Amino acid sequence: MDNKINLTIDGQVYTANPGQTVLQVARENGIYIPSLCYHPRTGKAGKCRACLVEVEGIRGLKESCALEIKENMVVNTRTERVMEVRKMIVELHLANGEHNCIACEKNGHCELQDMAYHCGIERPHFPVEHITAELDTSSEGIIRDSNKCIQCGRCIRACNHNVMHEVLDFGWRSGDMKVICDDDKPMGESSCVQCGECVQVCPVGALTFKNAKGVAQFKELKKTKVICTYCGVGCSIDMYTKDNKYVYSMATEDNWEQLPNKGMLCVKGRFGFDFLNREDRLNTPLIRKNGELVEASWDEALDLVASKFSEIKEKHGAGSLGFFTSARVSNEENYAVMRFARGVIGTNNIDHCARL
Amino acid sequence: MMKEELKNKIQKLMQKYPKKESALMPALTLVQKAYDNNLTKELVEEIADFIGVSYSRAYGVATYYSMFNINKVVGKYHLQVDTNIPATLMGAVEIFNYLSKKLGIKHGETTPDGLFTLSHVECLASCGTCPVIQVNDKYYEMMTPEKVDMLIDSLRKGIMPEIPVKYNFGTKCNVLLKNVEIKDSETIAVYKKNGGYSVLQKALKMSPEQIIAEVKDSQLRGRGGAGFPTGVKWGFLPKNIDKPVYLICNADEGEPGTFKDRQIMTYDPHLLIEGMAISAYALNCKTAFIYIRGEFSWIADILEKAIEEAKDDGQLKNLDIIVHQGAGTYICGEETALIESIEGKRGLPRMKPPFPAVEGLYGCPTIVNNVETLASVPFIIDKGASAFKAWGSPAGYGFKLFGVSGAVNKPGVYECPMGISYKELIEMAGGYSEKIKGVIVGGLSVPILTTEELEKGDGMKMDYESCAEYGTSLGSGGVMVISEKFSIPEISARTIQFYNHESCGQCTPCRMGSGMIKLLLNKIVSGNGEKGDIDKIIWFCDNIKGNTLCPTGEAYSVPVKTMVTKFRKDFEALIK
Repeated sequence: MDNKINLTIDGQVYTANPGQTVLQVARENGIYIPSLCYHPRTGKAGKCRACLVEVEGIRGLKESCALEIKENMVVNTRTERVMEVRKMIVELHLANGEHNCIACEKNGHCELQDMAYHCGIERPHFPVEHITAELDTSSEGIIRDSNKCIQCGRCIRACNHNVMHEVLDFGWRSGDMKVICDDDKPMGESSCVQCGECVQVCPVGALTFKNAKGVAQFKELKKTKVICTYCGVGCSIDMYTKDNKYVYSMATEDNWEQLPNKGMLCVKGRFGFDFLNREDRLNTPLIRKNGELVEASWDEALDLVASKFSEIKEKHGAGSLGFFTSARVSNEENYAVMRFARGVIGTNNIDHCARL
Repeated sequence: MMKEELKNKIQKLMQKYPKKESALMPALTLVQKAYDNNLTKELVEEIADFIGVSYSRAYGVATYYSMFNINKVVGKYHLQVDTNIPATLMGAVEIFNYLSKKLGIKHGETTPDGLFTLSHVECLASCGTCPVIQVNDKYYEMMTPEKVDMLIDSLRKGIMPEIPVKYNFGTKCNVLLKNVEIKDSETIAVYKKNGGYSVLQKALKMSPEQIIAEVKDSQLRGRGGAGFPTGVKWGFLPKNIDKPVYLICNADEGEPGTFKDRQIMTYDPHLLIEGMAISAYALNCKTAFIYIRGEFSWIADILEKAIEEAKDDGQLKNLDIIVHQGAGTYICGEETALIESIEGKRGLPRMKPPFPAVEGLYGCPTIVNNVETLASVPFIIDKGASAFKAWGSPAGYGFKLFGVSGAVNKPGVYECPMGISYKELIEMAGGYSEKIKGVIVGGLSVPILTTEELEKGDGMKMDYESCAEYGTSLGSGGVMVISEKFSIPEISARTIQFYNHESCGQCTPCRMGSGMIKLLLNKIVSGNGEKGDIDKIIWFCDNIKGNTLCPTGEAYSVPVKTMVTKFRKDFEALIK
């Protein structure tokens, strides 16, 4: 294509699409630039200053998250000047918070941890005494640890602009600035509906799922992409499991730009899968024999249903059968039931709960 | 529950603005006043429901601005003593300590009878008449222990006394300060008698392009501190747009050492209004704003009255001017933070681009100009760009207000041609009153100059280039003369305390970096400094400069670094 743009990053020439930012191009090409406030779904914010890069011909460092690429642009992401600023940012966060990776659920999936590692910082050099804030464990599914909050504002942006719940905002200013729910209520007492969008975008361990507490650090988890079974929207979920046990759900990040859920989940998709781990969950069909439910194979069960359908139809006619489908299955499955009812059984008795 | 009467007032505020959310700040101010100077969560929730914003947004705004007292008990009389640098240089700390001893309370405390609360407060733009105590809405300037006794005695009787103050003025150009000594100069009758509003009539017969060309030709540069050419800024407005254009007058005057704009607004409000009317006509703007700092509420009243007068007189046929009061934040002097504040949000600077001229207030093209800048426009249109350029040189043209405070005999506001020598300016201000250690010439955010530096060469001139040659900036023209008796390490610690308090908090280097530098400087000043602390401060200053979201990081890292490097020996002496 003619309208591609060529630019140089760290001495290497790359070809990219117009409108892209330096950060996007760098990431697509495996060049590490940290960003603690920019997230693809919450957009540029300019707050963390972690993504600053040097651009030839531009005075001062520029935010790569907001900098649109230009033809023949020459960008350097690892100059001494850039690295010193990155180090300062990490040092400031380590000095002002309690970033204890050993005891953090986000260990292995923390953007501050990554940044510190890439800057070669092993321990903080500027210890600051501060008062440890209490954890907010008031909500059903989310733990808020303000000691780990880096005030990036992603959660606020997500709450107000992605899911439009308008629960979170910043309160106070300067060193006292903190994320508040409504007028600084504990999350569980606020108008929060527990969609968990804030946890999804949090770059550090300030917002985590209660389910994970003491159960697993991120690095122990296995990710499986599934479709939510709650309703016909069919949201894409990254289900995190440990030892084949469900831990928590995230909306899939890799296809976040696509419908149906664009990287978001509701409270059910986010928190409604605890039953997966229950001992009394049904694993096989049951057939009632002599008044008792007995485990059976799918073949056995389907044969039984088919024979009963045929028997009823023969005895009482097709009109005596009815089909009731569910919003918990997909459109395609609902369509298949309709075709089965009308085409195979020969009845128009078909209905749908249309709700969960 | 709020009274109906209050709700009606908020309703009116909501109608006053192009968008109702803008009424949030004035509503909070209004309700706080009606409830004995205190706001509660319940009241904030009620206001949020009434205006139609989320609780978190309303509470975020209420806790952001320092003039809102959220769940904070404040006595009947809130005594706020400005102890920022210029005030300190004029003896404010002594007045604070005197008050503290007299009332038996410390910073943030209230007397047991609930009568008085005492607080430190950041710069009240009263630098030439410090020490200043703000009692609720009223300023008491040039305070002495005797005057403090008088004030407290009177307040105990329930009377807010009138304590007269003599301001020092001087002008060599007779434009911006020409009316300060005239009786009732703030009235339209007096203003018109002296030729006021005739330039507006002249301007209305010109084409907008002609006006913009004249301002461009004058090379008038923004008087707020950044010094950006006004005509060029105006030229950034996109052509043929279907959105409204807004003009905002920046009357936040928050830069410590600066107390010039208030003189124009107090003594010559119509000059500003005429300047705004001409500029608005040139920019095709139908709604303009004056963003005035909350502490200047009495000046806001003067402006409101003057706007009313001008409207009644038929001067503002196609223009509505809305006076919007801030509520105690330095950062709202930055144009995009100011815009956010008018929109009823936390005053947080925006990322640029887009620049306000393209996407500003309510997403529309917006021009933000300082009071002095806009008040200079009538002269340029009346007498022409060449008359304006008769003063100064290419290093800076025209007339400029300088606020001189600290160790001079006549601290005050002086109107001089650009390029006046520093020496001559100090002579206008009565000369040094004491032996001096250094001077800060452009508001607190510019590099400090030592006496040796000042004496170099032919002497510094007060214009953009000469100040730069001497290693500092003209800034807002707030000159603070530092007497030898002050300790630069202490001044630097107080400086960073101010910027740390005023950091909006959104970007990491500014929020946490200012806190870290404050910590290190306090450590040194309190005698606990360690070897290496000075270099740590310099490392932070170097990495903060230019790397913050808005210019605030630079505004403190540059002056603090120069204090530390130029007076390094004084700092080292404190480290054992």
